[in-house]
Amino acid sequence: MIEQLFLNSLIAGSIYALIALGFSIIYRTVKFFHFTHGIVYTAGAYFAYSLFTSLQFSFLISFFVSILLASLLGVIIDRTVYYPLRFKKASNLSFLIASFGVFIFLQNLIALIYGNKILTLRTGPIKEGYHIFGAVITPIQILILTVSIILVFLLWLFIKQTKLGKAMRAVFDDPLASNVVGINPERIIFISFALGSLLAGVAGILISLETNLEPTMGFIPLLKGIIASIIGGVGSIPGSILGGFFLGLVENLGIWKISAGWKDLIAFVILIIFLLLKPRGFLGIKTEKEII
Amino acid sequence: MEYLFHILIISGIYSILALSLNLIIGFTGLPAFGHAAFSCVGAYVSALLALNLGISPWIGLLIGAVMASLLGLLIGYPSIRLKGDYLALATFGFGVIVYSIAKNWVPLTKGPMGLPSIPRFSVFGFSLEPIWTYFILVLLFVLITVLVIQRIVHSPFGRILRSIREDEIASEALGKNTTKYKLLVFVVGAFFAGIAGSLYAHYITFLDPSTFTVMESITVLLMVIFGGMGNIPGSIVGATILVVFPELLRFLGLSSSMAAQVRQMIYGLLLVILMLKRPQGLMGTFRFK
Repeated sequence: MIEQLFLNSLIAGSIYALIALGFSIIYRTVKFFHFTHGIVYTAGAYFAYSLFTSLQFSFLISFFVSILLASLLGVIIDRTVYYPLRFKKASNLSFLIASFGVFIFLQNLIALIYGNKILTLRTGPIKEGYHIFGAVITPIQILILTVSIILVFLLWLFIKQTKLGKAMRAVFDDPLASNVVGINPERIIFISFALGSLLAGVAGILISLETNLEPTMGFIPLLKGIIASIIGGVGSIPGSILGGFFLGLVENLGIWKISAGWKDLIAFVILIIFLLLKPRGFLGIKTEKEII
Repeated sequence: MEYLFHILIISGIYSILALSLNLIIGFTGLPAFGHAAFSCVGAYVSALLALNLGISPWIGLLIGAVMASLLGLLIGYPSIRLKGDYLALATFGFGVIVYSIAKNWVPLTKGPMGLPSIPRFSVFGFSLEPIWTYFILVLLFVLITVLVIQRIVHSPFGRILRSIREDEIASEALGKNTTKYKLLVFVVGAFFAGIAGSLYAHYITFLDPSTFTVMESITVLLMVIFGGMGNIPGSIVGATILVVFPELLRFLGLSSSMAAQVRQMIYGLLLVILMLKRPQGLMGTFRFK
């Protein structure tokens, strides 16, 4: 039992980490809560569903085209909604409320197009899982873990090793100074949205292989991703990964003795505890603006 | 006619919610995104008291509102130390927590199955069964809410609230205990939200947690922003328009689930347009800084 809970927390954690990672990259460049991240996740899954199930493309093609579409969606949202707000120097709360608006709009648009029913994305017959250390792991869960680890590694490589990654880190730390040395902040924002939304799309497709698709599927994972990034320290990239796995662990071990319905409650209690006692999280970076 | 009164009653209940939220976000400038939590407590306390202990809805309403304001204290106390979007996130989190409790505490709330046949209000032994009598009751509560909030806003207390909104550090420098005032605003706002919840429970006579999702909190937030931040008539106008307008969709011949989706889409679009074009709302005086 406990072995299975550990394994489940690893799977959940890797999904949370992917969402939190994308969220953090975007947060660090624009410094507001991009709630629409959750709908990019949902949209990624639905793109894959359309391409794979309706248009009968192969799974790999569907996967790559969908994550590119998810990435494009993120960029479009930024250009149409956030860019004008940035131009007007709107407050963080205006951004937050507008991103809620986009979230509600797109979620219901998806519901209107695909209906409220639950859809499934199945690449083949459901295979029996493998037994490892007394826990059962399915091939799809292995896929989730591998893809997450590869992506996290690639992202780390991109941010640490490439010139563009260096420019991104410069904007993370000091947008004004990096502008002075000739880094165009709009270009970095564009890349952040493209990259972050790509990760959200991947997470959405992976989770829909494991469970189902519903128009409302993005809301709770989004919040979990935000909680994970706050636990790890908002904006910190290793922090997001740490936070994701930590949240997955606490959530899944927390329901060891009680009903699984209480998972969300546990996650939010952790959020409140962190906001109050450790608002910068485990690896939080000092931001110019004080949180409290 | 019944239908018209029904729409008016729902508008009235939402007006109370919007007015009480406006006190918190419009007049004091605290972004509280979990307002449905308070109406949830008001509704469940009053409904459960009536169902399990046979207590009159009138007393239930009062106890429900008091419990809601206690929750306001409980949520407000830790949250108000946070600023801006972090306060928004914390109150949002509390909203999810309360919803999750209502959904999972099955022995008490019956969870998603809901509580059926909640008794209606009655006056001197006459049940408020005819819909227009209930409308008058709701109208009365809207009036009370308006009067109380008007009094608060125009009192010295209200001036302190606005000073917190405009410049908290300055009002602290003038020796005002801003923490105390912010907490008080949460308590008062939660009290009226509790009343609204109880009015809803005894009107619909059925209660399940899906009425109090965080989306509901966002809807009330939209009503406040749309009508105008920091404007009392604005909240009533905002609530009424946003309740009445989607009803027109029914006449377009959309199925009820499609109408609900189109309504939500309009709400979402409105939030974006308001933030882009008029962040203070139709009649508002304040925008988030």
